Amino acid sequence: MTIAIGKAIQEGRNLVEPEAYELLEAYGVSVPRHRVVNSAEQAEVASAELGYPVVAKIVSPDVLHKTELGGVLLNLNDAAAVRAAYRQIVERSRQARAALRGVLISRMAPPGIEVIAGLTQDAQFGPVVMFGLGGIFVEVYRDVSFRLIPLTELDAAAMIREIKASPVLQGVRGGRPADLKALADLLLTVSRMAVENPEIAEMDLNPIIVYEEGLSVVDARVLLHHKTAPA
Amino acid sequence: MPAGSLSFKSRESLQALFCPQSVAVIGASTAPEKLGYQIFKNILDAGFPGTVHPINPKATEILGRRCYPSIDAIPDQVDLATIIIPAPFVADTIRQCGKRGVKGAIVISGGFSETGPEGEVLQNQLVEAARESNVAVIGPNCQGVNNPHHPLCASWPLLTRRGGVAIVSQSGTVGAALMDWASQEELGVSTFVSLGNRADVDEADLIHYFAQDPHTRTIAIYMEGVKAAPKFLQAVRQCRKPLVILKAGRTPKGRKAAESHTRSLAGRDEVYEGVFRQLGIHRADDLEELYDFSKALAYLPRPKGRRLLIVTSSGGSGILATDMAENTGLDVAPLPEEMARKLRAVLPKHCIVANPLDLTGDANAEMYRQVVEAAGPHFDIVGLIFGDPIPGASGVVGTDPLQLVIYLGGAEVERHERLLFHRKGIPVFPTPERGIRALSELLR
Repeated sequence: MTIAIGKAIQEGRNLVEPEAYELLEAYGVSVPRHRVVNSAEQAEVASAELGYPVVAKIVSPDVLHKTELGGVLLNLNDAAAVRAAYRQIVERSRQARAALRGVLISRMAPPGIEVIAGLTQDAQFGPVVMFGLGGIFVEVYRDVSFRLIPLTELDAAAMIREIKASPVLQGVRGGRPADLKALADLLLTVSRMAVENPEIAEMDLNPIIVYEEGLSVVDARVLLHHKTAPA
Repeated sequence: MPAGSLSFKSRESLQALFCPQSVAVIGASTAPEKLGYQIFKNILDAGFPGTVHPINPKATEILGRRCYPSIDAIPDQVDLATIIIPAPFVADTIRQCGKRGVKGAIVISGGFSETGPEGEVLQNQLVEAARESNVAVIGPNCQGVNNPHHPLCASWPLLTRRGGVAIVSQSGTVGAALMDWASQEELGVSTFVSLGNRADVDEADLIHYFAQDPHTRTIAIYMEGVKAAPKFLQAVRQCRKPLVILKAGRTPKGRKAAESHTRSLAGRDEVYEGVFRQLGIHRADDLEELYDFSKALAYLPRPKGRRLLIVTSSGGSGILATDMAENTGLDVAPLPEEMARKLRAVLPKHCIVANPLDLTGDANAEMYRQVVEAAGPHFDIVGLIFGDPIPGASGVVGTDPLQLVIYLGGAEVERHERLLFHRKGIPVFPTPERGIRALSELLR
């Protein structure tokens, strides 16, 4: 169990996003360069260091759906925008009575093909790894694939191949093919994380931006199993 | 997960259900319209090799057999009880059976968990009685067991054809339909098991059992949901025989219907899809696929590769076959020049020597034989479509290279030839699409 998971379980909460990033990085998964800041001034300094454009996100164990709360502000291009975003997130968290553990400033990831991956609990089969293309493919067409953990390399490759929108990953309309090897490795990593950290109940990596070479997990949500009664 | 739920039913207890030496029919009836009469009669008519005792306190004799008032009154050993009495009496009857050394019981009666909370209580009592008395129970709310190899037909309708596919079904009718088709075609089954509410014996026990059964080559399952995932996964991982599953309850309303039918949790369909693929289970999308896939997997060897030559007397059928082959990843490769030259020399001028190879409407069995012979070195599979009444078709088909037989539009000649094929153990498919689709499962 990683330190972040142990601490979160002790405090009876789920991972906040910087901790989820930390977990992913510990397993060799790329996430955007980021800092957690506690003032508008720090936000400005961090942004200058990371390089514009940046994203500002709320960090709070009470907020599962950051976007719905207005806790994610994208495409911030200068210091004024970053300061305004910081103040706005503080204000939103106060309105929602959500405990604020800072604001996450991260480098805006360049565009690529958006996919999602994660771990969910199936009522019958238990923990399963999920994969799909981002946006309407998952929401409208339910174009997703699942496998039981632990995944083999063949399973990971099949999961990517068997979704209906898979040709999009091979490159369409002159687009470059996505790094399928990096994607398969990510699915295997999700499986390994779940096997090695049985405290993880759900993981939602959405979106993941895949490039011709490599990928970046832009948003990560990790929910933990909490004991409801002493063992 | 309750302790011990990962252990499978012992071979001995399942043998009592499928290959008993003696059977008691509890609730046997003198009234021909009742199941208690039909099942008793079917056991006799199928030629059960051991003793069969009817049990009914109100009768003295049924179909010439002495009737006993209870299981206790039978003087000799009974292995299997088939129970067709009202639900409230079943649990106690199972206890009595246990005391008499009965190892297995098939509970045909309904009125259990499928009917609501009161039935649920009765079912729990049944399970408790079965566990305490060490009796393996199939059902309740089921259509029984038919093992034509024994033979034991504790089910209906009366079907006796022996074959290589084990049918395991949560729905009695769905399973019986498959068995009926297999009988019609003279392919038969290895065993038919209707699981009903599967209060005790479940699909995992049966996968485990049929994986070792010498008569079973392929296991065909209709299910609305797995009963216990860990046990199911273990059974499937250990099974070395092809497993074909039709999993119903794919849509939200279908899931709801499954819950009220056999109280099954139908689960998320996409997860089933992934799990089945991961475990190498052949997933059938409908009843015909369940039948066709099992038939192909049980009776055809695995092809060496994907190169398929389609030979037909019907142009249209050849195109339908080609479309399905393309869609299922088979390779309808062009004819090598050497082979085409050889065939043009022996076939009539009007034949279209290509792939698909159209022998046209006046094709005869000898022409098919010539094509198969020429195809040998170049193709992994020859799909033979007999699209007209072609006598002697069954005489020209062999196994090298693998030959897939599709016969349609041949009326009486077709029906006659199909049975000849099936008696030789070569499966015949009724349409180009169904045949090619089933074939593609051999290469999954």
